[in-house]
Amino acid sequence: MLPGFKLTLGFTVFYLGLIVLIPLAAVFLKTSSLTWNEFWQTVTMPTAIASYRITFGASLLAALVNAVFGLIVAWVLVRYEFFGKKIVDALVDLPFALPTAVAGITLASLYSSKGWLGQWLEPLGIKVANTQIGIFIALTFIGLPFIVRTVQPILEDLDPELEEAASSLGANRWQVFWRVIFPMLTPALLTGFALAFARALGEYGSVIFIAGGIPMKTQITPVVIMQELDMFEYGKATAIAVVMLVASFVLLLTINVLQWWTNRYNTNNLA
Amino acid sequence: MTPAATTFHLPHPAVRRHTTSEPPWVRRLLIGLALGFISLFLFLPLIFVFTQALAKGIGFYFHTITDPMAWSAIKLTLLAAAISVPLNCVFGVCAAWAIAKFDFPGKNILLTLIDLPFSVSPVIAGMIYVLVFGAQGWMGLWLNADNPSFPWLANWLNEHNFKIIFAVPGIVLATIFVTFPFVARELIPLMQAQGRSEEEAARVLGASGWQTFWRVTVPNIKWGLLYGVILCNARAMGEFGAVSVVSGKIRGETNTLPLHIEALYDEYNYAGAFAVASLLALLALVTLGLKTWIEHKNAALNETEKSA
Amino acid sequence: MSVEVKNITKKFGNFTALDNVSLKVESGELVALLGPSGSGKTTLLRTIAGLEFPDNTGEAQVLFYGEDVTQIPASERKAGFAFQHYALFRHMSVFENIAFGLRVRPKTTRPPEAEIRERVEKLLKLIQLDPLANRFPSQLSGGQRQRVALARALAVEPKVLLLDEPFGALDAKVRKELRRWLRQLHEEVHITTIFVTHDQEEALEVSDRVAILRAGKIEQIGTPEEIYDKPASPFVYDFLGNVNLFSGRVKDGAVVIGDTEFDAADTEGEKDTDAVAFVRPHDIRITREPGGQKTFAARVLRSNAAGPVANLELERVQGGGQFSAQMSKEEFQQLQPKAGEQVFVELKNVKIFSDDYSI
Repeated sequence: MLPGFKLTLGFTVFYLGLIVLIPLAAVFLKTSSLTWNEFWQTVTMPTAIASYRITFGASLLAALVNAVFGLIVAWVLVRYEFFGKKIVDALVDLPFALPTAVAGITLASLYSSKGWLGQWLEPLGIKVANTQIGIFIALTFIGLPFIVRTVQPILEDLDPELEEAASSLGANRWQVFWRVIFPMLTPALLTGFALAFARALGEYGSVIFIAGGIPMKTQITPVVIMQELDMFEYGKATAIAVVMLVASFVLLLTINVLQWWTNRYNTNNLA
Repeated sequence: MTPAATTFHLPHPAVRRHTTSEPPWVRRLLIGLALGFISLFLFLPLIFVFTQALAKGIGFYFHTITDPMAWSAIKLTLLAAAISVPLNCVFGVCAAWAIAKFDFPGKNILLTLIDLPFSVSPVIAGMIYVLVFGAQGWMGLWLNADNPSFPWLANWLNEHNFKIIFAVPGIVLATIFVTFPFVARELIPLMQAQGRSEEEAARVLGASGWQTFWRVTVPNIKWGLLYGVILCNARAMGEFGAVSVVSGKIRGETNTLPLHIEALYDEYNYAGAFAVASLLALLALVTLGLKTWIEHKNAALNETEKSA
Repeated sequence: MSVEVKNITKKFGNFTALDNVSLKVESGELVALLGPSGSGKTTLLRTIAGLEFPDNTGEAQVLFYGEDVTQIPASERKAGFAFQHYALFRHMSVFENIAFGLRVRPKTTRPPEAEIRERVEKLLKLIQLDPLANRFPSQLSGGQRQRVALARALAVEPKVLLLDEPFGALDAKVRKELRRWLRQLHEEVHITTIFVTHDQEEALEVSDRVAILRAGKIEQIGTPEEIYDKPASPFVYDFLGNVNLFSGRVKDGAVVIGDTEFDAADTEGEKDTDAVAFVRPHDIRITREPGGQKTFAARVLRSNAAGPVANLELERVQGGGQFSAQMSKEEFQQLQPKAGEQVFVELKNVKIFSDDYSI
């Protein structure tokens, strides 16, 4: 038996409790100081409801777009050779590494009416800055690496013999993709999607600059919480935070189930 | 394949095509789509940061980043990272050791809880510390109570006007929270995959617990550890939402680099904001570079292990 | 009516996998491609399947029953291919794996659902796995997986069945069972079959004919008896079993090793020249008494009588050089050789190859 079990587990639980669990419990304790009525009125006030819709909708759309393009990027990085591939591969993680505030002001300026991209979009009638499109753009940026990085390893490990087998059985390339490759990627794709979606739900820094924070129109839920905090309305802020936390925990559970599902085919019952 | 070297006439492209690849036009379309998407969402913003940073010339750039307010933000950012990264590192190693080397009930719950901070919005991460340590929070109630428990401590804290929220300790705490899982989630799967046999062998050969850890475990996990540290550091220096809630944004005192960027941006000092932002963008590039280097190194290591 | 390849050349970088290979397999025949790794046997099989294409497009030809399929990709070639590691689709049940080839057919040629069902069920019976139709590949043993892979390949009613190391990933006992099963299956469905193996015992036992490959060329092709009894080259001789080498001289129809003369086949007309004599361990006879001109002296180094036959390691007294001999248990008990003892050795079925060869 190796030493250090009590010490390491003890410290792990202590540190986890101190930094994460006790402060998080404060949210739920604080909420319990509200009556059910107060709680319900807060979490269903129009600005909050609008913010849920905006946050949820933009996150979902961004995760969907990332699922499509993330799959293409992962596919291209694994299967094809092209100039600059290594740089592209490294750059995929930029949204992980670039501070959100930097991403926020950059996207806001790029898509502002005088920005490099905004000046071309505005004449077409597409306004990005201070609109929900802006939120969607920022969340797409943030979620991009999740899909690529979950799909890429699965795609790399796919046995080429599977595709050859399908092909020798008469399947054309499109059938090979849809019937053999895609089903094997689906769990990873869903996991990546859920991760990108979860990240987008809570995102703050990269969104606020481009979104502008117009109540009922471009206010995401974290901004609503921030506003209540700025007005020292801690009870209200906490109530809305509870809604967000519950949504996040449900997603976390979903991700865990998906990850188990991803490994499902790999378990060999008879070894 | 060396078709050019042979004297045979070139085959029809459809014939030469390998069974498990797509026709050239599909390949080109997909590569084009991928590169277009990457350029639009990643490459262009990156170039934009540096272009805007130097929009008012190199003189203005250096003036902005050597400004005392900027310096104070840099120092605070480094301080927050210097405290949170080592702490999370120790935590990560401890958690990985306990989880990978021992069996105990509740392991999966512990694993899920360690990942929890990733699924909490940064704004909420900041807020929880306000609830605990803020003037209206538990600590505030205790300090302002007529008859607090531990009166000596409450008095001492009141006398020294000790604050956590809207002060440096709150920033450090929020940073620790948002970077909490980084090292642990790198090390846990790595150490689980490596198993226990090497450590057990060291013990059988008479090594003490510490010797086993330093001479056997650490050399095996050093790249994974470094990888986690790099990612942890990037997030620690770049955190915005959580820090923004607890900082109070007092210039020269409680502004970190990301908050300083926001302040400059809100004053319409765009060139200034991007100048400071370029520092963090550089940090991101260094992070990506190191990350790629470690991955490369690891892949090479795995290759030699396979052939051995 | 046959499967035929002509003048196939295939290179991977600087490595020549196939060097102008031609091969004809008669209809209904079961042919083994036997060779060491890197000999090109799998590449040849993949070329027949349309998974690889020859480099010399103009000259190379793959013919299925006289029809030129050289330009036709795998998906339209109708060759059933079973992979070494089975390549079963993990996300499909056994049933769906077998049905795959029928389901991907274009609407016009796709059989109706009821017929697909019927055909898959028939194949499941043939591979004796009908109770496991709804299992997933991960729930099957290695031998069961291989049978599913074969059924899947057979479902599309291929013109030729191609098997890449079909028993390579199985343990020894299952291998033997499946070998026998494959032979039976072949007698039932009687489909032209080509299979790749590096196991000479497997090739000799299962196939009608064996093609031995070496460095991208076919070294010899023939029935198992032919190639075993009349190996065309030292390589074939060596590849088909254990062998002892004795250096000596060839002299009108005989080979002289040391001072001893042995009869050797196929040496008529050979000049008086240095040569290497090949002798299988079971063609070495050991006695206690010298047989005059017919034997030479050797010393016993080791003996091992575990298993059905006894093995001896010996060393020539004159000139040195180690070799091994094989004898029956009875002979061994009569002889009772001990390590260090001197015995006398007679060689039978000595084979001489005129070209230079070293092992």
